[in-house]
Amino acid sequence: MKTHRKTQTRFTYLFFALLFPFLFAACQQQEEVVKSNRNKNEDIKVVGTMKAELTAPPHVPKPIGKRTAKRLFVDMEIIEEVAEMDNGVEYVYWTFGGSVPGSFIRTRVGDIVEFTLKNHPDNKLPHNIDLHAVTGQGGGAEASFVAPGQQKTFSFKTLNPGLYVYHCATAPVGMHIANGMYGLILVEPLGGLPPVDKEYYVMQGDFYTKGKHGEKGLQDFDLQKAVDENPDYVVFNGKVGALTGENALTAQVGETVRIFFGNGGPNLASSFHVIGEIFDKVYLEGGKSINENVQTTLVPAGGSAMLEFTVESPDNLVLVDHSIFRAFNKGALGILSVSGEENHVVYDEGTEAIPYIPQSEIAENTPPQEKEVEAKVEEPAPAPADFDLQNSITKGKKIYSQNCLACHQAEGQGIPKTFPPLAGSDYINGHPEKAINAVVNGLTGEIKVNGETYNSAMPAQRLSDEDVAAVLNFVYSNWGNNGTTITPEQVKNNK
Amino acid sequence: MKTLMMFLATILFFACENVENTASNDEDKGITSKEEFNDLSIYNIPSVWTTQHNEQIEFKDLQGSVLAVVMVYTSCQTACPRLAADMRNIEEQVAEKGKENVKYVLVSIDPENDTPERLTQFGEDYQLEGDQWLFLRGTEETVREFANIVAVKYKQISPIDFSHSNIISVFDTEGVMQHQQEGLGVNNKETIEKIIELSN
Amino acid sequence: MLRYFTIAIFFLFHLNVNGQEIEMRKIEGGVYVPLYGSQEEVQVEIEPFYMDAKPVTHQEFAEFIKQYPQWSKENVKALFADASYLTKWTADGEVPKHLINSPVNNVSWYAAKAYCECQDKRLPTTDEWEFAAMASENSIDAREDSLFNQKIVSGYEKPKTYLKEVGQSTPNYYGVYDLHGLVWEWVYDFNSIMITGESRSNNNTDANLFCAGGAVSANDLMNYAAFMRYAIRSSLKARNTMSNMGFRCVKDYDKNELELNQ
Repeated sequence: MKTHRKTQTRFTYLFFALLFPFLFAACQQQEEVVKSNRNKNEDIKVVGTMKAELTAPPHVPKPIGKRTAKRLFVDMEIIEEVAEMDNGVEYVYWTFGGSVPGSFIRTRVGDIVEFTLKNHPDNKLPHNIDLHAVTGQGGGAEASFVAPGQQKTFSFKTLNPGLYVYHCATAPVGMHIANGMYGLILVEPLGGLPPVDKEYYVMQGDFYTKGKHGEKGLQDFDLQKAVDENPDYVVFNGKVGALTGENALTAQVGETVRIFFGNGGPNLASSFHVIGEIFDKVYLEGGKSINENVQTTLVPAGGSAMLEFTVESPDNLVLVDHSIFRAFNKGALGILSVSGEENHVVYDEGTEAIPYIPQSEIAENTPPQEKEVEAKVEEPAPAPADFDLQNSITKGKKIYSQNCLACHQAEGQGIPKTFPPLAGSDYINGHPEKAINAVVNGLTGEIKVNGETYNSAMPAQRLSDEDVAAVLNFVYSNWGNNGTTITPEQVKNNK
Repeated sequence: MKTLMMFLATILFFACENVENTASNDEDKGITSKEEFNDLSIYNIPSVWTTQHNEQIEFKDLQGSVLAVVMVYTSCQTACPRLAADMRNIEEQVAEKGKENVKYVLVSIDPENDTPERLTQFGEDYQLEGDQWLFLRGTEETVREFANIVAVKYKQISPIDFSHSNIISVFDTEGVMQHQQEGLGVNNKETIEKIIELSN
Repeated sequence: MLRYFTIAIFFLFHLNVNGQEIEMRKIEGGVYVPLYGSQEEVQVEIEPFYMDAKPVTHQEFAEFIKQYPQWSKENVKALFADASYLTKWTADGEVPKHLINSPVNNVSWYAAKAYCECQDKRLPTTDEWEFAAMASENSIDAREDSLFNQKIVSGYEKPKTYLKEVGQSTPNYYGVYDLHGLVWEWVYDFNSIMITGESRSNNNTDANLFCAGGAVSANDLMNYAAFMRYAIRSSLKARNTMSNMGFRCVKDYDKNELELNQ
């Protein structure tokens, strides 16, 4: 039947196209295309009515579960009120439903939302709402424009599942948003989002106050700072400390947490990160596409993301905007407090700290050297059964230049009064055990070499036995020394 | 000082009352003695208007008719021809259903220039002729008042041009607004249906 | 009859002259650029006029209603005022004592207009009101003064300022009180600007859809106080009433009258 009608339409169209010039034809054709591309979710049947549950952050309404699409009544009141932004700092917030961000709205695809916006009679300004989940004029802006003491109702069908920002769009728009007029509306897909254990509502916003960050008293909105995009406060859920201390979010080890994260702006994009966690899933930009194993997700002003992760170990996870000065100087900090059993496989705190003496510490009075004396060497190959002296000397040369040359110098001559010579040294020739000891354990205190007294410190060299042998073989076979051969076994035995 | 102010205020009211009485005495009698209108009825508007036939008329004289009302001005080149076409289209389709107690009212935004002659000419130009068509000229004040009732915004931006909203309003037979169609070239279907429904 | 007329004229005249001295202030006209203007003429010329020094109070409005009971809470036609009309008054239409000297609020545009006309005055035009309101204490145009603007905007944000009494603040350059800080005020052509709830596209009106479309665009993007005033005006219908909306009246400046006076 449908096909038949379509053919008929086509035929009619063809008939007209023959009769009329192109313009008319083009117009008809466009209509056809529009019809075939239209969003199928428009056809989802609405069965029954219900009043939408609205929640203040950080809470979200119950999941839609398996319910049918309904005519959903959303009743939202706009309240302008003074509230605390920080300790002793007050601000006149403009709110959807009395909170910043505004009440969370949870719908499913195919719902017809009948939205009533009420502007409290004591408010001073007209307001409206632009829901990014709406396809229609201004997201509802014009239809919902309402003076104080009035209310307006409009409706829309939710065609695209996703997490959407809503905000006020009354002139001056920036100021309405800067004063807290934003929130999130979730449109769940068919069948709903996969169930999780905990769901939270977190939204970032930037605020511009006349006084500097922390300046006490009732703070006015600062237009110039807003235009300059230089906020005094960047916060989660409308104020400093909305998600810390007693207000921290909570979860148990093993639970899966979903954060509905939005960014109201008005100006800044958020580099949202949870310290000590990895997002198992991120619904990018609040849409359908899922990325996995994400450390930090970028959420634009007027955008959102859904984040899911399982918490594995008990800890205070810290929610931050990883544009990190915002976190520690402007307030963008929240806590997700995870309690439960430690899981040492996933994370182990290790042992008590022990004193650490850097091996490469340079003796006092030593001028800083260009090249640090470093003891970083490759892991030694297992010692060969038959010791190869030549090979050892060759290797030792390399080790010497890396570890010893800076002090003892290229020809083993040392530096007078500071570093003793190795060339023709009576300290090492005939005393291989002293030489091994010096390399392996370091040497501090007064020593006498070739009649001169030296009093400085040599750090222990972090070398394998084989390498200690190698470097000593190099030294003994050069600069007039007696050619003693040191084997790794000797080093080992002399430790 | 306060006494003086009170004294002056009293005289002020006294003076105002005189002016008011001479101007609206007859009208007051009319309203109170004849009948009470619905509180939201435009029949409550006391102003007197001039038609394209140079006759005096008040809204309450239109009792019993469904009204489709639009605000235009004759020198308008852009939106008004479209609005006129919309009105004609609505009139034609309603007429097809045999509805006769409907009046199509065009209220001029530009009372200074829109004389009855020009309004008549406008009707001829756009084929808005017949008893069902009514063109009204008021004063700057009465036009502003009426515009506020139908929520039409307008502003004179040059001696001959106004910016204004494009709204067609439908009033029932008691003079109460029942429907508004906003925008140009929008589908007239709902408006036509409403008029037909109200004129039953 | 003639004698009566003469007396009336005398009183009227007397009142006008003295009334202005006591309650009205002369606003010297001038040229200014409104936030929203016409396309062709950016500047608007304002003729000199008299403006009430203070907003109309509850007390004054109550006296008006005694004379014109059709504007009482009980009698007013719904066409001319919505359900919140004079909602702060008692059920039997009395002004609560604490409001007597506060600006009248919850009045509709029609009621405000009728009040002014019965004082032989009128509501100011948007341009007249804006012109007078751009004056600070010592400048006739303080719109570039960021402190002045900041003060106004912060006043707009403060709740319940309609409870304050009129005339307690410092008057502006013309000696006019409380243009900012107490209540919004009705103006005659409050609905003249084609801004809608869709405030973001106002600079992009589809020129083809309106006569002289696209004529309206904001001139000063930093004047948030003015944006807020235009927004509140455009959100209202003439029958609406609000806690934060009152009015004051103005009167034409008549050169001849002044000469008569001298």
